[in-house]
Amino acid sequence: MLQRFLDPATLASISSLDLVAKTVVDGFVAGLHRSPDFGFSQEFAEYRAYSEGDDLRHVDWNVFARTDRCFLKRYKGETNSQLLLLLDTSASMGFGSASVTKLDYARFVAASLCYMANTQRDAAGLIVFDEDVKNYVAPSTRQGQLFRLLHAIEKAEPGTHTDFTKPFIHFQNFLHRRGIVVVMSDFYEDPAVIVKTVEPLRYHGNEVILFHLLDPQEIKPKFRDPVLLYDLEETTKSLEVSPEYATNEYRRKMDSHIEALASKVRGAGMDYFLMDTGRPLDEGLREYLQVRKGRL
Amino acid sequence: MGFFTPWFLAAGLAVGLPVWLHLLRKHKTTPLPFSSLMFFEKRTQSSIKHRRLRYLLLFAARALLVLLLVLAFAQPYVRQTVLASKRSGEVTVLAIDNSLSMRAGNRLSQAKTAAKSVIGGLRVGQRAQVLAFGSRVQVMSEVTDDHSSLNAAVDSIEPGDTRTSYAELSRSLRAIAQSLKLPLAVELYSDMQQTGWPANFNDLRLNATVQLNPHPIEAKETSNFTVENVVAPRRVYDAKKARVLATVAGFGNKKSTRSVSLVLNGRVLETKQVDVPENGRATVEFLSLDVPYGRNKGEVRIDTADSLPADDTFNFSVERSDPRHALFVQESAGSRGLVFFKAALEAAGQSAFEIDPATVDQVANVSPSKYAFVVLSDLGAVPPAFENALREYVRTGGSVWIALGHLSVGRTRVPVTGDAIQEARYAGREGERFQTVAWLDTSHPSILKDDRWEGVKFYQTIHVVPGSARVAARLSDQTPLLLDQQLGEGHVLVFASPFDNVANDFPIHASFVPFIEQTARYLGRLDAGPASVLVGGFAELRDSKEKGAAVDVLDPKGERALSLEEATKAQNIQFTMAGFYDIRRPNGRNELVAVNADRHESELVPVPPDSITLWQNTAQSAAAGVNSSADEQKPVSLWWYVMLAVLLLAVAESLLGNQHLSVDKEAAI
Repeated sequence: MLQRFLDPATLASISSLDLVAKTVVDGFVAGLHRSPDFGFSQEFAEYRAYSEGDDLRHVDWNVFARTDRCFLKRYKGETNSQLLLLLDTSASMGFGSASVTKLDYARFVAASLCYMANTQRDAAGLIVFDEDVKNYVAPSTRQGQLFRLLHAIEKAEPGTHTDFTKPFIHFQNFLHRRGIVVVMSDFYEDPAVIVKTVEPLRYHGNEVILFHLLDPQEIKPKFRDPVLLYDLEETTKSLEVSPEYATNEYRRKMDSHIEALASKVRGAGMDYFLMDTGRPLDEGLREYLQVRKGRL
Repeated sequence: MGFFTPWFLAAGLAVGLPVWLHLLRKHKTTPLPFSSLMFFEKRTQSSIKHRRLRYLLLFAARALLVLLLVLAFAQPYVRQTVLASKRSGEVTVLAIDNSLSMRAGNRLSQAKTAAKSVIGGLRVGQRAQVLAFGSRVQVMSEVTDDHSSLNAAVDSIEPGDTRTSYAELSRSLRAIAQSLKLPLAVELYSDMQQTGWPANFNDLRLNATVQLNPHPIEAKETSNFTVENVVAPRRVYDAKKARVLATVAGFGNKKSTRSVSLVLNGRVLETKQVDVPENGRATVEFLSLDVPYGRNKGEVRIDTADSLPADDTFNFSVERSDPRHALFVQESAGSRGLVFFKAALEAAGQSAFEIDPATVDQVANVSPSKYAFVVLSDLGAVPPAFENALREYVRTGGSVWIALGHLSVGRTRVPVTGDAIQEARYAGREGERFQTVAWLDTSHPSILKDDRWEGVKFYQTIHVVPGSARVAARLSDQTPLLLDQQLGEGHVLVFASPFDNVANDFPIHASFVPFIEQTARYLGRLDAGPASVLVGGFAELRDSKEKGAAVDVLDPKGERALSLEEATKAQNIQFTMAGFYDIRRPNGRNELVAVNADRHESELVPVPPDSITLWQNTAQSAAAGVNSSADEQKPVSLWWYVMLAVLLLAVAESLLGNQHLSVDKEAAI
């Protein structure tokens, strides 16, 4: 029943983005039966014997008191993790065959992730970019951070064309702590170029996840008549497209693009997830978290 | 080209609908935004062009469909030339000549074969009619497309004895064209005989819708001999006095000798040789005709081996009988009137009557019924019993001839008829005071052959009030000289002067003999008809008093020529074949009529080709004359053709449209 409210078209009718995020996350959490394994917090992993040079702050003094031996506590991560969202606002993200555009959908996802991180007291940040960095909210856990994030997401509008190379050089300057980096884009670029550009983010020990946002009409286009199409990022470029071509060759090319991107991204040690904007929002989140849980 | 309902053309604006649907609407198509065109290629345009071609074809089909529908409602028509437009529904007429000349060689069978080949070549549904013509046209079949019945009609045409008449054929063709109201293609099979050509070329004119195609059959001049004419007595009373004169004619022949035979009842009586000059005639005279009593079939025959044997025989009918008696009543024996009367009858040649003289005293108990006629020559008083017997005799069909003279002066009425005698007019020889004949009714049988009575002087005449009698002659003072009165079934002829040469000088004039002879034949009911008639001639079968009585007529083949109904009702009969017709009347007046074919048929000279061309052109000139008016009268509607095109186009549009829409179905999957 709740699924009905997570439909992108329904969410689009909710004007307030925080309410959208709350609706998505609360509904989503309710569906998870209170599992303790959700969230991005750093957790206890194992003990190991103290060796010289180890930081004394990690010694478990309670164990030393009982056993008179020094053991170090090992964690899976930092106590408070950092989430950085990279939101692509290029002109192509403004495409939508229904009432919800890809950018709308990306905003819902971004807001939901921010809301979730805030609930976990994790630091969340946002970078809005197209061919350049348009907006930046530094990761933080301060009071009011969520509203700053949501405000930045709200203000994100379709811009010009995408250029991964330029903004991603800047991103590396913003990343001081390890954390999770989520890139949301439609990735209209050669998969090799995308991987090559995004891959350096991993070098700092970040978990990088690529959310590939595509409209159903982009995945399986349906035209009743021959149509004249123009490129949203290059408006001067237009082509006459026959229904036969869109049905056959285009789909084949798009499928191979998705497949190539997924395999190259995973091959580079990153996560890839295809988000069909025609599907309910929580489905995408749940699927992502399932993957994430399995990896942990 | 025109339109019966041109205002429907305004609906042609509806063609704007497919134009808007296919062209204008297409041009207004706005480009659709798409996130990226990196997966589309330029080569996709070729398929678009290919599809656009189909699209334009569909548009053309739809636009044309709308226009044709509008055209169909406007009902277009075209005006064609008369001949071209009237040729539709053409009826083929096969006219086959079956006149006597077609008996020459195998002309008729050639004509039939040629006609049958035309029937074999007729298209399915093309109608035709078979005609046979000679002097008149016989319709052998109705207008039909059944080949078997047409062939049967051709087979049933038999050779005839009539004379060719192209004028009669043209008249019939005009009538057929008028009644059918369809164009006729006339296939004419004839030997194109010159003698069948009418005297007036206008009689040959054809309607504009008649197309004449003559097929001459052996149209060349061939030599032919014929017995052209035979002069023979109808009745013979004395065989030694009868003679037969035959004329033999040659057409296109060289001088040759022919044997001519006189045949009676199939028996050759006499044969003579005759030299027939080149393209000339020769006469043969047979001086005796030994015929038995009764009606006999006579023939004059020549032995020729020409191609037309049907005209080598000439038929004539001859009847042998004894002379009939006529009673001549006079006041006293040895009157001059008897002498002159008898002499005149004998001078006429054939002694058909034998005069029995009697005085008034002798006739009291005489029955007049056994006499052919009775003559009362200037009687003073007639015995009442005899007069009554005469009246009864006349009523039953007898004839009385009364001559009034000086003895009639004392009477106030004419015997038998009872007509009043007004006065007696006298003229003396002195001073040449006499009367002459001022007026003659030349149609009266007594005067028919000779009406030259100018020099006859009448000194004494009896003026009779004519009453209801027919006056056949009057004198210069308007006194009726010859009165003919019918009483019952008989006649009473009153001559207002005696037969002697005292009261007039008529007996010494040449016209007296034919007058006496003709009157005697008239009163004795001996018709002086010819010994033979031509094919196509008529004979009277009955008079007005013989209604309902059956008349038997046997034709030359021995078959009854009349049906039972015709036998009791027909007034006359037409002789259609050569030979002898036996007519048997109820009152015993039997007759054997010899019928011969018209000898014009013997001349086998064909019509010049130019004349035939002129005949054909009569139809074309008529067509040219009415061409302009016919153009306006006969527009040919194209409605059916347009509707057929609409139907075909609708099918094509459905197929194209279906093909076009099939792409959309795939896209929707």
